[in-house]
Amino acid sequence: MMKISGFWIGIVLMLAAGFVLAGVADNQFLFFAGYVILQGLIMAVAWNVLGGFTGYVNFGSAGFFAIGAYTAIALHQFAELPLLVLIVIAGIVCGLIGLGTGYLTLRLRGVYFAIATLAMAIVFESLITNWDYVGGSAGAYVITPAEVPFFDSFIEMMFILMLVLSLICVAVSRYLSMSRMGRGLASIRDDETAAECMGVPTLRLKLISTTVMGVMMGVAGAPFPFFVTYINPLSAFDLLIAVNAIAMPMIGGTAVWFGPVIGALLLGTIQQIVTVTISSELNILIVGVVLIAFVALAPRGIVGLFQDFARKRREGGK
Amino acid sequence: MRFFRQLVLAIAALAVVVAYSPQVSAQSGKPIKIGFSMALTGVLGAGGKSALIAMEIWRDDVNKKGGLLGRPVELVYYDDATTPAKVPAIYTKLLNVDKVDLVVSSYGTDVIAPAMPIVMRSGKVFLGLFGLDVNHKFKYDRYFQIMPAGPNPAQDWSRGFFDIAKEKGLKSVAIAGADAEFAQNAVKGARANAKQDKLNIVYDKSFPPSTADFTPILRAIQATNPDIIYFGSYPANSVGIVKAANELGLKAKLVGGGMVGLQFAAIMKNLGPGLNNLVNYDFWVPAKTLKFPGIEEFLKKYQAAAAGKGVDLLGHYLPPWAYAYMQVLGQSVEATKSLDDKKLAEYIHKTTFNTVVGPVKFGKNGEWATSRALMIQFRGIKANNLDQFKMEGTRVVLKPDTVKSGDIMFPYKK
Repeated sequence: MMKISGFWIGIVLMLAAGFVLAGVADNQFLFFAGYVILQGLIMAVAWNVLGGFTGYVNFGSAGFFAIGAYTAIALHQFAELPLLVLIVIAGIVCGLIGLGTGYLTLRLRGVYFAIATLAMAIVFESLITNWDYVGGSAGAYVITPAEVPFFDSFIEMMFILMLVLSLICVAVSRYLSMSRMGRGLASIRDDETAAECMGVPTLRLKLISTTVMGVMMGVAGAPFPFFVTYINPLSAFDLLIAVNAIAMPMIGGTAVWFGPVIGALLLGTIQQIVTVTISSELNILIVGVVLIAFVALAPRGIVGLFQDFARKRREGGK
Repeated sequence: MRFFRQLVLAIAALAVVVAYSPQVSAQSGKPIKIGFSMALTGVLGAGGKSALIAMEIWRDDVNKKGGLLGRPVELVYYDDATTPAKVPAIYTKLLNVDKVDLVVSSYGTDVIAPAMPIVMRSGKVFLGLFGLDVNHKFKYDRYFQIMPAGPNPAQDWSRGFFDIAKEKGLKSVAIAGADAEFAQNAVKGARANAKQDKLNIVYDKSFPPSTADFTPILRAIQATNPDIIYFGSYPANSVGIVKAANELGLKAKLVGGGMVGLQFAAIMKNLGPGLNNLVNYDFWVPAKTLKFPGIEEFLKKYQAAAAGKGVDLLGHYLPPWAYAYMQVLGQSVEATKSLDDKKLAEYIHKTTFNTVVGPVKFGKNGEWATSRALMIQFRGIKANNLDQFKMEGTRVVLKPDTVKSGDIMFPYKK
C-alpha cells in the first residue's frame, strides 16, 4: 500500500480548511488579511530558494514581484485574459527574467550580488515608470468583477487562489530542499568552490534557483493589481515588500523549507493585527526590531531555536 | 477585602459616568460611526495627520451642537501608512467588523482608489479627500471629491495658469514634471492646455521624483528660452526648483504651475523671498474673496490644535478641505434625516453646500461642477517669517476671476 506522507496530508488539510473558511466565514476582512499573509508567504518561500537554500542574498524581490504585477496589467490591457492565465504568463516572464538575471549576475557573490539585484529592481522600476501602456508613473486601474462563479465574493476567490498558489510554492520549495538538487544548493551555500571541485554543477543549479525564485515572485505579483485595483510603480516596487520577503525567512529560519512558512505566518499575522489595532507604521518598526533581534540572537531563526532546544534536551537526557 | 474591591469598582463606574456625562447629556442613542483609513504615516503622513486634526475638530463641533440626528458622532480610523495594499483590508474591516454607518476617504489618489471597489460593493456614499480624477474608471455615482479641481481635473487644474499666459500674449512653454502620479497628471493637463492655446512647447521632459538639485534641468530649460515654465513637482522638488530658479535668474516671464509643497507653512517660511512673483496653484489663501463663513474660526482651532504635533502650522492647504468634506456629509445626514446612502447620494448631487471653503457643488462625476483651483502669486515675501502668510496680500489670487484678489506682477523677474 502506498504510504502518504504527513506533508501531503497537511497540504490537503490546509486546502480543506481554506474552503471551509470560505464557505463559513461571513467576515470578509479575514480574506483580505489572509490574502496579504499568503502573498507574503509565497514571497518568503521564493526568496528562500535563492537566499536560504543557495546562500545568494537577493534585494530585488520587489522587482520580480512588480514585474509579475505589471505583466498582468499589460496583458489585462491588451486582452482581458482570465486571471489564472495572467498568473501563468507572469510566472513564465519572471522566471525568464530570473534566468537572465542569473546569467548576468551569478558570477558575483556576497554583497556584490545583493547590490546587483537591488540595481536590477531600480532598472525595472524606471522602465515601468516610463511605459505609458501600463499607466506609467500615473498608475493603472483594474476594475474587478462584482460577482464571481462558485464564490460569494471576488476577495474570497482571490484568497482561495492565493492559498492554492502558496501550497504549490511550499511543495516546490520542499521538493527542492529535500531532493538531490537541494543538497547541491546547500553545498553551494556552504562552500561554492568546494562544491564545484566535487563536481556539483553550480551554475546550472544557481540558474534553476534564480528561475524558480523568479517564477514564484511573479506568481505572487500577478494577482496584486486585482487585489488593490490601483497600482503605480511606487507601490509595486515598494522597498518594504522586499524587506518583508527577506525578514520572513530570516525570522522563520532559512535552512529548511518550513522556515519561511513559519516566519511568514507569524510576521504576516502580527502585521495584520497591528494595522487594525495600533498603527500601520509600527509594522515597519516591528519588522526592523524583530529582524535585528533574530539576526543578533537567533541567526538560524525560529526553526534554529527549536533545533537547539531539542538538541539540548536530548543531550541533557543522556 | 471583598467590600474594598466592590468599593473600588463602584468608584470606577461612577468616574466613567461622570467623565462621559457632558456628551451623553447632549445626545442620546448609539453613536454614528464614520469610518476611514488615513495616511497618518508614510509619504503623505504629515498631510494625513493635519487632515485628521481637522476631522476631529469637525466631530467635536458637531457633538457640541448635539451630534447628527441627535446621536453623537464617532470617528473610526486606521493608519494606512500611505500604502495602497493596506487599504482594501481596512475598509473591509470598517464595513464588516466595525459596522460603521458612513465612510470617507483617506488623503490622496493612491489610497482612495484601492478603497473604491470595496465601498462600491457596499453601496456606500464615499467622500474623497484630494484624489485626482479617481472616478474616471469607476464611474461610481455615490463618489464625491472635495478638492476643487473641476469636472476635468487634470486639465482644469492648470487652466488658470494658461489663461494668464494667454492674457499676456506668451508664445512658448517649457514643461517639466516629476515621474509620479500627481505630477504626471498635472503635466498631462498642462500639455493639453498648451496645445489648446496653440503654444509652442519647447521643452517637455520628466525627472525622477527624488531629484533635489535642479540646476542642470533649469539650465537646459533656459537654453530653450521659453516664455512660460510649468512645473509639476513634489515638495522636495519644488524647494530645489525655487532655489535653482533664483540662483540662475530665469528669464521666463511666467514660472510655476503645479508645484506641491509651496502651500506648506514650513516650506514657505524656508524659501521666503525666493518665492516672490512665482505663480502657483493653491486651494485657499487669506484673501477677502475667500473669507467664507467659519473659515477663520476653524483655522484658529486648527492652529491651536496643530501646535507641537509636527504638522502644518498654518493649515491653509489640506485641513479646511478635510473639515469641509465632513461638513458635506454632516449637512446631508441632517437634511435627509437619514443614513440611507441612496438618499444621501441624491441629496449631495442636487445640493450646493455651504462650507468653510465656500459653496460646494458637485458635478455628475463627483468632482466639483466648476473648477476653483486657484492660481496665486507670491508677493513681498520677507525672510524667515511665518506670520506674514496669515496676512492678505502675500499670496494674491490671480485666477479664477470670480475670486480674484489682485493683478499679476509681471514678468517673473524684472
